[in-house]
Amino acid sequence: MTNQLPLRSTINPNYIVDIGIECHVQLKTNSKLFCGCSNDAREAEPNTLICPICLGMPGTLPVLNKAAVELAIRAGLALNAEIASDTKFDRKNYFYPDLPKGYQITQYDEPIVGQGEIAVHMSDSSFKVGITRAHLEEDAGKLTHPEGVDYSLVDLNRAGTPLLEIVSEPDIHSPAEAKAYTQELYMRMLYAGVSDVDLYHGNMRFDVNVSVRKKDSKTLGTRSETKNLNSFRSVEKAAEYEINRQIELLEKGEKIVQETRGYDDSTGKTISQRSKEEAMDYRYFKEPDLPPLQIAEQMKQAIAKNSPIMVGDIRAKLKEADLSQTIITAILNQPKLADLQQDVIATNSQYAKPVANWLSGEVLRIVGEEGFNWDKFQLDSDRLVALAQMVEVGDLSSTNAKIVLSAMITTDTPPEDIAKDKGLIQMSDTNQLGTIVDQVIAANPQAVKDVESGEAKAIGFLVGQVMKESKGQANPQMVQEMLKSKLK
Amino acid sequence: MNKIKDSDIKHLGVLARIGIDEAIAKELAPQLMDILDYVSRLQSIDTSGVEITSQVTGLVGIWREDEVKPSLISREELLSNTLETEGGYIKVRKVL
Amino acid sequence: MSESKSEYLDLPIPELVAKVRNQEVTAEFLVNQSLELIKANQDYHAILDVNQSALDQAKAIDKAIADGETLGVLSGVPFIAKDNFLTKNTKTTAASKMLDNFQAPYQASAIDKLEAAGAIMVAKANLDEFAHGSSTENSAYGPTKNPHDSSKVPGGSSGGSAAAVALNITPFALGTDTGGSIRLPASFCGVVGYKPTYGLVSRYGVIAMASSTDVIGPITRSVSDSAYVLDVLAGQDVNDSTTIKRQDSYLINQDGNKKRDLKGIKFGIIKEHLEMIEDKDVLANIKAAIDKLKAAGADIKEVSLSNSEASLPVYYILAPAEISSNLARYDGVKYGFSSKQAKDLLDTYLLSRGSGFGSESIRRILTGTYVLSSGYQDAYYKQAQKVRSLIVKEYEDIFADVDFLIGPTAATTAFDLGAKPDPISMYKSDYMTIAANLAGIPAISIPSGNVGNLPVGLQLQGPQGQDKQLLDVAHVIGELI
Ligand SMILES: [Mg+2]
Ligand SMILES: [Zn+2]
Repeated sequence: MTNQLPLRSTINPNYIVDIGIECHVQLKTNSKLFCGCSNDAREAEPNTLICPICLGMPGTLPVLNKAAVELAIRAGLALNAEIASDTKFDRKNYFYPDLPKGYQITQYDEPIVGQGEIAVHMSDSSFKVGITRAHLEEDAGKLTHPEGVDYSLVDLNRAGTPLLEIVSEPDIHSPAEAKAYTQELYMRMLYAGVSDVDLYHGNMRFDVNVSVRKKDSKTLGTRSETKNLNSFRSVEKAAEYEINRQIELLEKGEKIVQETRGYDDSTGKTISQRSKEEAMDYRYFKEPDLPPLQIAEQMKQAIAKNSPIMVGDIRAKLKEADLSQTIITAILNQPKLADLQQDVIATNSQYAKPVANWLSGEVLRIVGEEGFNWDKFQLDSDRLVALAQMVEVGDLSSTNAKIVLSAMITTDTPPEDIAKDKGLIQMSDTNQLGTIVDQVIAANPQAVKDVESGEAKAIGFLVGQVMKESKGQANPQMVQEMLKSKLK
Repeated sequence: MNKIKDSDIKHLGVLARIGIDEAIAKELAPQLMDILDYVSRLQSIDTSGVEITSQVTGLVGIWREDEVKPSLISREELLSNTLETEGGYIKVRKVL
Repeated sequence: MSESKSEYLDLPIPELVAKVRNQEVTAEFLVNQSLELIKANQDYHAILDVNQSALDQAKAIDKAIADGETLGVLSGVPFIAKDNFLTKNTKTTAASKMLDNFQAPYQASAIDKLEAAGAIMVAKANLDEFAHGSSTENSAYGPTKNPHDSSKVPGGSSGGSAAAVALNITPFALGTDTGGSIRLPASFCGVVGYKPTYGLVSRYGVIAMASSTDVIGPITRSVSDSAYVLDVLAGQDVNDSTTIKRQDSYLINQDGNKKRDLKGIKFGIIKEHLEMIEDKDVLANIKAAIDKLKAAGADIKEVSLSNSEASLPVYYILAPAEISSNLARYDGVKYGFSSKQAKDLLDTYLLSRGSGFGSESIRRILTGTYVLSSGYQDAYYKQAQKVRSLIVKEYEDIFADVDFLIGPTAATTAFDLGAKPDPISMYKSDYMTIAANLAGIPAISIPSGNVGNLPVGLQLQGPQGQDKQLLDVAHVIGELI
């Protein structure tokens, strides 16, 4: 977790911060929004997933992908938002080399998803954020600027990819809340199954609108929009930087300029890109090449029925098992882990906590490693319960349990076998332990004397010696108790 | 009436990304003014309560199933009209 | 041209196809004949590019027929396409410097359908640049001349297509009609020009002008040939989401129609159109035609399209708006003219578009940009869309009262080249045709004799989706006048 408290404390308390966030989510369809080209451009060579439509060739026309509409509706449901009965597409006109037609097909005044509201959870609190709207639109291509040359390069593989742009109300009031909101969106899109939510490949991109106002002011301040952030952390950092920049300006008696800004990850600073005076005039108008849509009640209901369980419901279940907000949030990061946790709660709720600690710690760390292959993931709830039981009866130390656990993730071997194989089973047999304890007492008269004269620290040394003799397999608690009783 | 100055033409030219020099702006300004004056007569028609028409087919909900149908046209052919390419990319002048 | 040659290309299309199928004449012969006629008529400048593969295509058809294969309903029929249809075997320029050397990587659905039916595209026809015009004078490659008088315009924007059919180069040509661009040149060149119901023919692969009014249609010598070609073209296309269901057949039943008269059919004459006819002789011609309809039992009454006058301003707001957006893709980046003088990206845009587009296209782009821009959109664009609703409604009311509308296609016969240098007087050439595009209804221009040596066009309009009914009645009237 990043240091949320210090961040908050750096903000001048005489100001209220208002943040609204626009989030572009790439929908996981097979084909693009308006043509049959593949929607997965991650590994493709430049301009190999394109067709005349992607290239904006003369005479081409868009044909809407039904699955994108369905996923948008599903995402809308995950945002507790209204789904429009009537919706349509519009053209947003501007020139850029990554925009082949010279306009983007998007939704202007009749978005497919209307108002909604979601609860956002932080480690010690939660708050509500209003959803203004969410609309379907096509992504642009990619423009790269090689160093040291006077040209740029255009790859249109991504052009036409379906996006859902989710717009929030300015209900977010700190950088930490901004981060939590983006994580909440991530979670909801993940569980709704509408996106691969691969942030590294830009599946979610955020534009953060920040403004500040004096404590007693009722109206929002002038805002800046920092565009194209691609991680939760950069959302938090950019918001923090913007808040402080704006407050500093106001404190100096200067005015905030409404503008678009970019964020430089290496410096943590935002940079002005375009002021409102040079703002674009997008000349929106209804897309004449696409008839409007009517979303029948029947279609909405069918999608609602077939949608996966909402993340909010899962969160509630985990909360009932008395898990902490931080652990819940960590587990929810991986739906497969959340499934396991739910299984354990349903079948062996007494082990919910140790399992939650493992899932949110060791397991999450391993599956979160670069290049982890989910196809090899074999962890199941039965073996997690068995592992918890071994710790409970003292067969396994909690430290060794983690070693066994990490070996369980990509195998189907029972924890007992792994522990035995690795020689991690604790020695809990009184006779066997007694022999070693006696040997250690005999070999360390000075330490024995110290213990007997009341120097408590010396017992730790003796326990250590027993552990060493047993090659780490002795149950340290039992050893301590034995030593105490023998030296009394 | 619509007063279109040379500078308005230049502004429209920037919006529409059409380079217009002084001489052409001078020529276009009165022409555009005439056209806009001519079409402005619509503004006197009472359209209160009238919905807009942007399409006449009455079609709704035209879509296709989500199937990948890759283009059968090669990248080379698709980019054969492109002035400059490099390694399969389209080359453009730097964005200022 | 020799007698024996025109003997074939003069035939009604179904008869020509029959002769190709029974090997009385070869497709190769017909294509050769068309190619020779293109050469012989170069002075009219109807043609921009010739399909070098046309003869090979013809030979393949002849071979298939010789092998006993049954081929499509247009087997061996040469045709010409307006140069805003994307075609694989020729350049596609839209008569613009912007697309001077453009080689399309795919082909328009309409061309695919015609080729699948055995037709052979022999050439691409001249047009006003990007179809922006009413005279074919706005071509970057120079104007087309009227075959009846080479000092006159052929009308536009499908002027090359209409002139080619009038010159008998091919039995039919394809045009596009956004505000009258098929009917006006058909009227000026003395041929039949058919504008289908909006959405009946796929626009896929046709360079867009104004997407909400663009239609594709045939230009032929007779109504029945137009119906015959439409029967191949019409229908839904998965690549064009605005295409509509077709009627079963558009073919004119020749026997049935011989017996048919016009008894009980109600025609309306748009009063406002009649009043706008500038030329007395044209008015007399139209009135004479109407008298013939009356004599054949037609029920004729005057109707009012009170928003007639508004249709031009509506169109010249909506069309430029859509044009400004549709032409944004010509940016010097992916294809098309790209200025080599550009130093940065903005330069690429400004220089490529500034010199790639001709002056009328630039006027329309700027007008469209203006009417869509913030602060003006409500007063211009939205208001025009509302008045468009009024026009649609008025047509509905009229067609509740009459079956078809009849009147002039244009206020004049073909005018002199260079006669209309100012944009608005040129725009007004479309006065009678434009409302049909705004309402999306079918309309046709058929020859109605001459005034002097210049043809007059009679325009018929019908209710949306009733293309078959309109063609049937136009066929009867065509035989009558
Ligand atoms: Mg957007
Ligand atoms: Zn594509």
